[in-house]
Amino acid sequence: MQQREEKQLESALDSIIQRVNDLKQSIASMIFKIENEYETINWPSFLDNYALISGQLTTLTKVLSHDKCPVLRNLTVLPLMLSPERDEQLAQLTEHRVTTFAHDLCPDYLRTKLEPVAENKMLQLETKALGLQYDNAQKQIATYQKVISHVWDIVSKAREEWESESSSRGNTQQNSSVADTHLLVAAVGMGKGLKMGPNPNGQTNPTSGGMMVTPGRAGGPPGPGQMPPTTQAMSMNKAPAGIKTNIKSAAQMHPYGR
Amino acid sequence: MGVTILTQFALENKTGPQTVEVLSKRICALGAVQQGHFLVDCETYTSVPQLGHQRTVHVLHNSEQPATVFSLLDNGTKITALATDGLFDLLMMKMSQFYTSKKQTKAESKGLRYEIGDFYVKLGTVTVSSNYKGILVEVEYRPCVVPAMCWDLLKEFLQGFLGLTAPTNPPTYLQNRMQEVYTPIDTIHQYLEHFTMFRKSPGIYRN
Amino acid sequence: MSLPGNAMDSLSAALKCNIIPNQEYLLQGSVLDQYVEVLLHRLRGLCDNVDSGPESFHDHEICFSLRIPNTAASTPMPMSIFSLRVRRALDVSDTPYQLRYIGQQELGDKNRPTVVRSSIDMACSSTILEFLTELGCRIEFEYIARGYMFRKGRMKITVSKIFKMGGNKPESVEPISQSYLVELSVLAPSGQDAIGEDMRIFAEQLRPLVQLEKIDYKRLGNIM
Repeated sequence: MQQREEKQLESALDSIIQRVNDLKQSIASMIFKIENEYETINWPSFLDNYALISGQLTTLTKVLSHDKCPVLRNLTVLPLMLSPERDEQLAQLTEHRVTTFAHDLCPDYLRTKLEPVAENKMLQLETKALGLQYDNAQKQIATYQKVISHVWDIVSKAREEWESESSSRGNTQQNSSVADTHLLVAAVGMGKGLKMGPNPNGQTNPTSGGMMVTPGRAGGPPGPGQMPPTTQAMSMNKAPAGIKTNIKSAAQMHPYGR
Repeated sequence: MGVTILTQFALENKTGPQTVEVLSKRICALGAVQQGHFLVDCETYTSVPQLGHQRTVHVLHNSEQPATVFSLLDNGTKITALATDGLFDLLMMKMSQFYTSKKQTKAESKGLRYEIGDFYVKLGTVTVSSNYKGILVEVEYRPCVVPAMCWDLLKEFLQGFLGLTAPTNPPTYLQNRMQEVYTPIDTIHQYLEHFTMFRKSPGIYRN
Repeated sequence: MSLPGNAMDSLSAALKCNIIPNQEYLLQGSVLDQYVEVLLHRLRGLCDNVDSGPESFHDHEICFSLRIPNTAASTPMPMSIFSLRVRRALDVSDTPYQLRYIGQQELGDKNRPTVVRSSIDMACSSTILEFLTELGCRIEFEYIARGYMFRKGRMKITVSKIFKMGGNKPESVEPISQSYLVELSVLAPSGQDAIGEDMRIFAEQLRPLVQLEKIDYKRLGNIM
């Protein structure tokens, strides 16, 4: 009888330890991510991590409340020996988090009740709750419920709208046309449908409307204040001044004083 | 940016380095301070015969405008100027099937740059495909951008250190645009004129 | 000031170090006119320039080409063609023109998420039109693009309406389709293929509104 109980306890402890270890690992990896990848981490992967931890917590609770699990609170842990010396075995067991099993640390690690400060606070809150008038409490609950149900309504309405919209779009709506894509890409890339001249090999092309006539002083007499042209053979053309100030890096090196 | 005048200079019985040294001494005696170096280069591309009548593209760089490439396209009757970003050189490489570069005509003028009051003076040694060709003196008067308004001043300044050989008339390129606002492309036009002259001249002032 | 280096030398040095962004990674798609607002809304949420809102543009693009007959019999093409594009803003008067060379597109295999093509992009003075004409180029086609530009990191997203030029007046332009062209692109030095994966993920977020895909121009040529 005793042996069976002991066995049960052992297996229960094993599975608890395993769950706790899983939990510990995922918390560690989450902390690592927050500390090292805070620049690149995105919400979906962050929430995935969180969901994992919360799932593991649920499993742990389930294991604890399972009927096969012996009632742990009936068991006692009794520290037999305290020592201020460093205990290598203990350090190894706890991944160097606890190195000595001494009188100042032991109460913290073996605690089954809340810390005195927290316990006091809990007590205060409980007495306050007990002292509350029944009517008042009822009223407060009603107000909260009203507010919450209102918010709930808004959220569910928005969700309904969103779902109906997205489902209708996903099913029937056509937002783009493959034919149009091909038409546009061929036009921009190869000039399909944009060439106006009947003979693409002709020397003159009517496409170039008057609109794109060079603003530069092509051929014609240049701007005002110009001296009459000399007998020079070349009528040289000058790049308009405006452009040069626009070529920025050069302008920065040498701001033209105008 | 002001108005720039470019002129060739030579001294009898003096080599290039000696001439530059003489000029440098004179200009420093006037109170000029040396301010780094400068480089203007010119590469010339010509169209392949299949493209019809021959056209020439001169691609120039000026260290005064280091991020800009200047191109002058000569179709025989007129010159079209273009200013672009530095990647234009890459584009010319891509066009090698249509425009081929004549490596033996690569011209450059480089040397020291001086500052003296409102003037910049550059003493350039010109080489065409690494052969010494002569000396180009560039003087820029910075506070003014209209050539007609500062030509006399520039002339006087040039005479001050070039002596009697200093030009008495504005460069031919500037003669019919004395009233216009001067821009960096005008300097490029002047350099091209001189580079073309140097390329044609067989004479090398090497005594 | 240090000794100024030869421009060509520094260019070839830059080429060697592979720091010149001369590769364009590209995905293309379209959205019907009536859903463009939904798309813009979504892009506003996804992209970087949230505060300033989308940047609008109104550009005129002309495609020029330089061509010579091929003398070598071995080449399959009868002509050597070199295309250049010039783009200028119609809504802002003081900006430089843009000159652009776009090379052959490479689709790669199925595992490559985007089209890759070489691209040389530069600002230039407005004399470029005359310059290209004198160079021997002629106009192939032109169009007006009006729309919005978004940024997400290195990615550029444009949503643009394409208009055909009608005659000589700028007002008489007509849209060529009932859709907006949507392009997702990145300009990067060659070999940075990782960016393609980012683009694929971003394109995924725009579905099913827009299907951004690798589009093969050669196949388009056969279809139409």
